[in-house]
Amino acid sequence: MSEQVEKAFQKQVGIFQNPKASKKVKAKNLRWYKDVGLGFKTPKEAIEGHYIDKKCPWTGEVSIRGRILSGVVVSVKMKRTIIVRREYLHYVTKYNRYEKRHKNLAAHLSPAFVGVSPGDIVTVGQCRPLSKTVRFNVLKVQKRIQKGPKQFAKF
Amino acid sequence: MSFDELSTLQSVDFYCISRDSRHKRSHTGAKRAQYRKKRKFELGRQPGNTKLGPKRIHEVRVRGGNRKFRALRLDSGNFSWGSESITKKTRIIAVVYNASNNELVRTNTLVKGAIIQIDATPFRQWFEAHYAQPLGRRKKKEGQAESEELSKKRSKHVQRKIDSRKEDAKVDPLLDDQFTTGRLYAIIRSRPGQVGRADGYILEGKELEFYTGHELVSLLNNKILIVVGAYSISKERVFWENPELEALLTNNPHEAYVFDENKAR
Repeated sequence: MSEQVEKAFQKQVGIFQNPKASKKVKAKNLRWYKDVGLGFKTPKEAIEGHYIDKKCPWTGEVSIRGRILSGVVVSVKMKRTIIVRREYLHYVTKYNRYEKRHKNLAAHLSPAFVGVSPGDIVTVGQCRPLSKTVRFNVLKVQKRIQKGPKQFAKF
Repeated sequence: MSFDELSTLQSVDFYCISRDSRHKRSHTGAKRAQYRKKRKFELGRQPGNTKLGPKRIHEVRVRGGNRKFRALRLDSGNFSWGSESITKKTRIIAVVYNASNNELVRTNTLVKGAIIQIDATPFRQWFEAHYAQPLGRRKKKEGQAESEELSKKRSKHVQRKIDSRKEDAKVDPLLDDQFTTGRLYAIIRSRPGQVGRADGYILEGKELEFYTGHELVSLLNNKILIVVGAYSISKERVFWENPELEALLTNNPHEAYVFDENKAR
């Protein structure tokens, strides 16, 4: 019930949820999910969870194809999408040296990933345009490693 | 349709609405300079705003020589009753709810995702022929004849089939109520402005509860918690018209809690 936050009824489109009471049906959590391929594990929360997200790579209607990139999470403030920062070095021939450059990437973050915070390393896969700037979908999250007894991390 | 009508419909409108992204600012916020005119492949057309009324559908020639059927007025559609797996063509009576825009409800505009009321008679006729049990009938008065389908004489073969279907003939009480009024809640699932049809399915189960506000009547530690759906169609009326809920509340007046999701937000 808690996933019905919108004005329209949220559900997975292809799943018929109302078989007659007389028919024998398990009916605990009629959920459809798929494997995105390319060796990415489908998160347990995607299979057992109750969220409805049509842009989720496992329980929604997007396919992952094209580029697979990775980067560091910069901000998690948007609804179900994050900004990923990808750093790279650009070679300047005149000085035979490199300079640091970065690009920010907007990626859709499925509700299957809980507790993603800035600093985590994230693998994103290309999908069809989901919004004006979002063309990627988060596939894997690695928590940031706290080096040493440095900071107090809020739980 | 005459050539004059055709040209007035089609020629003027494209090139005014375009679906390009070149006029928008880029991801970084930079204003993009215009370096070319609008192209025909980026065109957008006026919305159809399909209303209720005698059928009026215009054909549009689209990219590649293909056709779209812009329904301007529709009065019926093909609706399926999911749990019974049947589909019947029925009259659309009214638009009851639209999650995007109340204006579309007021003007009875048929769009995909609109909650509408449809005529229940074809479904009731099928049900009574298939299960030989009354559906949505008020209490029969003394001496009043049963409907033709119920009292029809059937061959032994057909009667055997009907007997074997007896246990399946149970209908959800929420649906049964709708059959008594002769109107079912359904949702449009086709796109009338693209295919020229308003087809869909009858709301059942959780979805029906969501849209009519019957959600979550549950007993919690001997206290009655009633959650009224935040965006239900006509919340108070439907809520209090439910005899079960009223009975619960009158029997346990001190322990009933009414939780209004709207106020809680």
